[in-house]
Amino acid sequence: MTRLLDVSDLKVTFGTRYGTVTALDSVSFHVDQGETLGIVGESGCGKSITALSLMGLIPTPPGKIAAGSIKFLGNELIGLPPAQLRSLRGSDMAMIFQEPMTSLNPVFTVGDQIAEAITLHQKLDHENALKQAVELLDRVGIPSPEKRARDFPHQLSGGMRQRVMIAMAVSCRPKILIADEPTTALDVTVQAQIFDLLNEVQQEFGAAIILITHDMGAISEMADRVAVMYAGRIIEEGRADDILDHPQHPYTRGLISCIPSLDQTRDRLREIPGIVPPLHELGAGCAFAKRCDHAFDRCLSARPSLSAAGHHPNACFAVEEQRL
Amino acid sequence: MSDLENTLRAQSPMAEAWRMFRRNIPAMFGLFILIMIILITLYGAFVFTGDPYEIVWAPHEPPLLTPEFPFGTDYLGRDIIAGLLTGGAPTLAVGASAAIITMVIGITLGAFAGYYGGWVDTLLMRITEFFQVLPALLFAMVLVTLFSPNLITIAIAIGVVSWPQTARLTRAEFLRIKELEYVTAARAIGAQNSRIMWRVIIPNAAPPLIVSATLTVGVAILFEAGLSFLGLGDPNKMSWGLMIGMNREYILDAWWPVTFPGLAIFLTVFSVSLVGDGLNDAFNPKLRER
Repeated sequence: MTRLLDVSDLKVTFGTRYGTVTALDSVSFHVDQGETLGIVGESGCGKSITALSLMGLIPTPPGKIAAGSIKFLGNELIGLPPAQLRSLRGSDMAMIFQEPMTSLNPVFTVGDQIAEAITLHQKLDHENALKQAVELLDRVGIPSPEKRARDFPHQLSGGMRQRVMIAMAVSCRPKILIADEPTTALDVTVQAQIFDLLNEVQQEFGAAIILITHDMGAISEMADRVAVMYAGRIIEEGRADDILDHPQHPYTRGLISCIPSLDQTRDRLREIPGIVPPLHELGAGCAFAKRCDHAFDRCLSARPSLSAAGHHPNACFAVEEQRL
Repeated sequence: MSDLENTLRAQSPMAEAWRMFRRNIPAMFGLFILIMIILITLYGAFVFTGDPYEIVWAPHEPPLLTPEFPFGTDYLGRDIIAGLLTGGAPTLAVGASAAIITMVIGITLGAFAGYYGGWVDTLLMRITEFFQVLPALLFAMVLVTLFSPNLITIAIAIGVVSWPQTARLTRAEFLRIKELEYVTAARAIGAQNSRIMWRVIIPNAAPPLIVSATLTVGVAILFEAGLSFLGLGDPNKMSWGLMIGMNREYILDAWWPVTFPGLAIFLTVFSVSLVGDGLNDAFNPKLRER
């Protein structure tokens, strides 16, 4: 399998009024051709920033890629001239956003918008691009695509719009499709349809998918491999089955135990107490220590990094010392 | 047609705005008057062929006394209706071209300032503020006096003093829209900055800019009248402002040579304002309910 994307020691900082905060810290992962990598975590843990930095879309300033490397098919993306990066975006790498309500331009028809994405990377006139757009709309399961292509975004439902976004994203047959919480804004039945569609699209176009989500259910359905993020770092990484069946890090365990299951008879749903700490308040210790049942003195004085102790790579002293 | 059908038929945001506009009686009235004024100034001179500079009768003939001169004559005995009909086109032309100049300068500077931010924004906004604090009328008078007082200079002078507001409006729209997700989405499909500015943000910023452009036409017409009144109009082109300017010394002897062109200017600016307000309501239907 070809290594498509290799991210190593990526560090992204943001200048805020509290000083410079580190939004991503030594994040490393890779994506192979045709596979689906899930990136999981709560809100504010750096998932979306990871996606944006892959696309080179971190708003600078205040954001800044401070260190690390992002290699796409062996070529370093960081420091690439904007024009070259732009030609990658949309053609080799495409992105689907969280809010289909706001990620389409309200003043153009959806057909026009897909056609525009096509003409940006292919030498096609608008008319032929529009024909392709209609085919793509048909491909992503939009009924009477010729008619719908002439619709404006506000005339479509959320699920339809997300299909349009997917059509736009796959229009130039990207090698990597980054889906940033593609179903969060949709209702449950539509979510399943969108996941099915993403799977089909992956089969047909052979794209690797980076699925960013906070939904463990989505992970179990979609992902081959998983990276769990917390407060800007990857704290556990492994094959999806391993992560789901043998979670190591207390945070991952927490996430998984939050999934309600049918054979449990509990009144209350489980939750992880507390919230992700604000990035400017991170101390020296493990960022999860304050919310962790297993935290001991070592957790408060040093921040663990990924180690091979345990079933698969994770960043936890308790696992390392086999205290769990 | 029922409201539901209308909603379902709703097509582009522009078509939707036009549907709202059509229901707005004052705005449609303004549009009607404006179209009439434009038609009269364009074709009136063909129907009523008279030279506005030719002395045809005794000076200060009151209106309605002589059937040939229903609007009377001015201080030199020139026919006022001839002046009204030929003077409209230059007035409207100056108004429209000044508004175009205003929009081009204002939108360009505002777009760059809002989109790029940082030092570009700081620099462009300081320039804008410099022009904003200049006394507009005096500055326009200086420009017209320095260069020859012809219609082009006057239009440029009006444009140069009135763009700062448009620039600030455009900048504000850019600051708002550039943070929206569809702009990030456009970037994610590989659109370059120029494309995002002119093809993504500007169409979404269009409504307030269109309203502002319309209202600028009215302001520019008033400005041209003001300059002409002060004797800085183009003396070789009969315009409504010029008629008022030329006859202002005799205003106590004869009211009509200044009143009729004044009414013409009033009607034009009034109808332009009605259209502008109507467009504003059409683009922001929610604002109207307040």
